[in-house]
Amino acid sequence: MEDHEILLKFQNPASRNLAFNHLVRKYQQKVYWHVRKMVIDHADADDLTQDVFVKVWKHLENFRQDAQLFTWIYRIATNECLGFLQSKRRKFFLPLNDVGAELAAKLEADPAVAGDAIELKLQRAILRLPDKQRLVFNLRYYDEMPYEQMAEITGTSVGALKASYHHAVRKIEDYVTNADTPGYSSDEAD
Amino acid sequence: MKPSFRLDQHPRRWPQPLSSPPAGYFEQLPTRVMDQVAATAPVRRPLLPGWLWHAPAYVRTSLASGVLLGTFAAALWLGGGPLGQPAPAAPLANVPQEQLLDYLATDAHLTTLDLAELPAQNLAFTRHYLHPSAAELTEALDAQPTEEAPVL
Repeated sequence: MEDHEILLKFQNPASRNLAFNHLVRKYQQKVYWHVRKMVIDHADADDLTQDVFVKVWKHLENFRQDAQLFTWIYRIATNECLGFLQSKRRKFFLPLNDVGAELAAKLEADPAVAGDAIELKLQRAILRLPDKQRLVFNLRYYDEMPYEQMAEITGTSVGALKASYHHAVRKIEDYVTNADTPGYSSDEAD
Repeated sequence: MKPSFRLDQHPRRWPQPLSSPPAGYFEQLPTRVMDQVAATAPVRRPLLPGWLWHAPAYVRTSLASGVLLGTFAAALWLGGGPLGQPAPAAPLANVPQEQLLDYLATDAHLTTLDLAELPAQNLAFTRHYLHPSAAELTEALDAQPTEEAPVL
């Protein structure tokens, strides 16, 4: 079902649930993986994905179609992820490194990554990026999203996104190359 | 020398680098979301009737302006004036009579005209002052200054 059809049916109380069910089925995987790459843990990603769709339900009536539906949903998902990570830090008074370490521990327990040393190092490097830069990296590297669409989601200019992505790539390459070198330390702040 | 890692030469795990969620997760997720929506977020009734919701923006803007002006006019009309000043008798009724008498006897400079315009709201109280005893009259007359010329 096309987005405009979903929106039209959602306006009608008789077909609202059906339309929303279609919407969830259409976007659930993208939303889940977008969230999962940010929070790593499946249980957290599951909770957040449901929260995202509940918010979509609540606000879909006011969606004015000045953006694509998918972009709008992604923006909600992005805000939920960043809010979740921020609240985690505030709740436990954790600095950036400790949340990164917690996420890295979850990552190392993931059987899909555990056996591949280079991949594990790459994923660790990605986790060391600041949240917003990690988000930009994921959108570009894994989702292959155009910068213009990323700009709509993040509310950042295309130029700034390009710079952020290239800076992220440089930091990741530097980490994977030198992480095993004794005395290596990298600047995590951006 | 250790070879540099190049991201563009690394085989990318596409589309996802992490392990998949449990089997059947995406089949169940829509049902769980719908359950949560039904439990925690009942359908919000639109504030406007359907025909108004679909009306053009200029119609809704005009109606909103009309409602706002109407509310303002009704408030003015019911309030009795733009400042909406309270009736003076209402707060005055709450002041104890001893304090009122004290104020009138010491601070207020009243003329006979003021006294003539006083409404006789508390008749018993007024009667007490209009029918003084002989002793009270004598006491009041004695208190008057004698050197003043009589006004005829």
